[in-house]
Amino acid sequence: MALVFSNVFAKSNIKAIEDKFFKLSIICSSNQIRERHVLNPKPRLRNPTWFTKKMIAERDEQVTPENEKFIQQIIQDKYSNVSPKGEIPGNIEWTPELQRTGVIAKKIGIYPLWLKNGKKIQTTLLQVLDNHVIKHYLPEEYDPPRKGPIGIRNKKACLLLGAEGGDPSLFTKDYCGLFKESGVIPKKILARFFVSPNAALPLGTLVSAMHFQVGNALDIRAKTIDRGFQGVMKRHGFKGMPASHGVTKTHRRGGNIGGGGEKGRVWPGTKMPGHMGNTWRIAKGVKILRINRKYNVLWVTGQAIPGETNSICFIYDSKLPLRKPEKPLPFPTYLEKVDDDTPEDQYDESVHQFGDPSIVYAEKK
Amino acid sequence: MLCLRKISKTTKGLRVYSSVVKQANHVKRTNINNLRKDVLEYRHVYPEFLPDPNIEFRNTLREKLERNDMLARRSHINIPEFYVGSILAVESSDPHSLGKMHRFVGICIQRQGCGLRAQFTLRNIIDHQGIEILYEMYDPAIQKVEILRLEKRLDDELLYLRDALPEYCTFDPNMEPEILPEGSPIPINETKVKLKPRPWLERWERKNLLGVQDLELPEKFYKKAEAVAKPWEKYDLMKEYRKTIPEEEQLEIFNEIDSRLQKLHVQGKKMKKRVFVKPTKLA
Amino acid sequence: MFSSSLLIRSALKTKTISRNFHVSNQRYEIQKLTRLRVVDNSEIGKQAMAEGRPPRCIHVYNKTGVGKIGDKVLVAIRGEKKKGILVGLKQNQKTKVPKFDSNNLVLIDDNGTPLGTRIHVPIPTILRTILKEKTFSKGADYTKLLGIASKFV
Repeated sequence: MALVFSNVFAKSNIKAIEDKFFKLSIICSSNQIRERHVLNPKPRLRNPTWFTKKMIAERDEQVTPENEKFIQQIIQDKYSNVSPKGEIPGNIEWTPELQRTGVIAKKIGIYPLWLKNGKKIQTTLLQVLDNHVIKHYLPEEYDPPRKGPIGIRNKKACLLLGAEGGDPSLFTKDYCGLFKESGVIPKKILARFFVSPNAALPLGTLVSAMHFQVGNALDIRAKTIDRGFQGVMKRHGFKGMPASHGVTKTHRRGGNIGGGGEKGRVWPGTKMPGHMGNTWRIAKGVKILRINRKYNVLWVTGQAIPGETNSICFIYDSKLPLRKPEKPLPFPTYLEKVDDDTPEDQYDESVHQFGDPSIVYAEKK
Repeated sequence: MLCLRKISKTTKGLRVYSSVVKQANHVKRTNINNLRKDVLEYRHVYPEFLPDPNIEFRNTLREKLERNDMLARRSHINIPEFYVGSILAVESSDPHSLGKMHRFVGICIQRQGCGLRAQFTLRNIIDHQGIEILYEMYDPAIQKVEILRLEKRLDDELLYLRDALPEYCTFDPNMEPEILPEGSPIPINETKVKLKPRPWLERWERKNLLGVQDLELPEKFYKKAEAVAKPWEKYDLMKEYRKTIPEEEQLEIFNEIDSRLQKLHVQGKKMKKRVFVKPTKLA
Repeated sequence: MFSSSLLIRSALKTKTISRNFHVSNQRYEIQKLTRLRVVDNSEIGKQAMAEGRPPRCIHVYNKTGVGKIGDKVLVAIRGEKKKGILVGLKQNQKTKVPKFDSNNLVLIDDNGTPLGTRIHVPIPTILRTILKEKTFSKGADYTKLLGIASKFV
């Protein structure tokens, strides 16, 4: 088409026009790709670097009892004395801007404590497991699985912590390789925690319950109890419909889900039946009332910590602005050796200890 | 548990030796059985030391810590052995009347909860007004739990006393404690309670109560009770298993706290004796 | 005509028969039209209890509409409207707070002065705190009621 036009107008000013038409022709002939401009593209999702196949396929290896004992002996010898690989910087003073590592814990149940004024409060017990540092990512090194379009501002370092040592012969070779650098026994649970660059810990360091202090606030992240596919009454607390007065087969149903006309569709976010629970939730600002040093157990306020008994949760220092700790925290973690003379339990000031004499309300003078 | 295991280990070794040793072995084993019986008796005396049988709430470490706390509390207050049907006096410090002790005497009509959550309900009639108070066993505001009459009744719960004639749960607040001779079994009070005429709080004819007199109801009530009864449930082994803690676990739990409980028992007795030194009221 | 009557009959047959009694536990809440028991020796209260027409609650002075221990209620008694304070409830209570076998009421006037001179059943000690708090916030002096109590539990 462009050639035909050029023949007709091949006179004085024709050259320029020809040029223009030629350009047009190129545009027309090439396949036009118009991309929709996306302001915030969906984050790229990728498995983290430590994500490998964990357990080996079950197989009957027919190991004799003597050999089994021998394997256990080797495991014992190899992993019995783990020491931190490097010096822990102990001279940094904690400030509210610094972020310490969190820990992996297990929710082990609920029981009441009494305050000194006689009030009963329910507390949840969290057992801090044998947390060891497995890996340390520098701020520039850590490549998060979810990345926004702008990248990450205010980059933090990252620690990979493992808890609950397992039998290494049951894990895959790849998985065991994760623990080679730190020298700790392969762990069943792994979790990463962002830390300020100077709060990083050397590999193989143990983080215990003494990492936290009585009276401070925590954020606890865990998966809620899985309740399966639930109706609207249980899932969203709807009222349901009357039991009688001519109601048939719609006693627990939601009823109307939208109008007609212009809004004649189901609007996004309409509360309807569906899967309930098994979602990550954070209980924010729960207070530590008591710490047991021997068994690494924390008593925290409230009975609404997400998850069932014996489920895993992650504990962080609280980010709530009004619940910042008053005293400086042990930074980067609790390092002092504990004597045997110090009491097993630490209590908050407000809590009545079970070993104390009974509460008496005396007359005020 | 440890000592048991040690003994059993030694018994294994002894089997090789002569018959004389075997006899000694036999004596030891009977001792073990006796010990076992004593320890298993604890489940009636200290039922709250057994954990909740619901498997979803179980965790051995939590249960251990809970037991330690319970024993720590018991070192300051003597919580005596009592049963549903025993008459207790509870003294507690009251924030509403400062500087005074609040004392309530009544019959224990219900015990519930396990661990630090254990509770019991006392009932009495004062000035022709039925009154019930629910107490927590490990509440630190409780100063003293005194047992005035130690006995059992025919039923596990005496909630029907709410519908009974008032004389069956009227007790004198200044009642003197009745002391059982050392080592005697707990007496079972076999009084049959007479209920008021209907309406009642519950349908007592359906509860298989042993401690009530004839309910004097029309025949249709008994027929209906028979129709809704579930007599096969007592043969449901799985239900029984879900409701109770197995014997082996009970042994483990009570063996762990046995020595401390006995120490507390002795301590409690000493405290009791000290109370007796007080001059009693003259008639 | 015949067919329609048949239809109705079959419909009646298939209709589920609802039970006409409550299956859930009673809560013994004090709400409007709950019968109460006057436990003081005021003339009107004595007469009402003696003739077997106990007062009815016709209003609860709180935001929930459910009377709790120490709450002020308006009652209809012998054709009159009187105010009263709840001094004992049948409802399950917190630990260490007594639960009574009847819903007890003490009649008062607008200033909080009791109409009677004596309460003949025990009243809970928690009323000391509750009534003291209410006195400050509501203007009337309810603590006079504590003075005529014969016994505390």
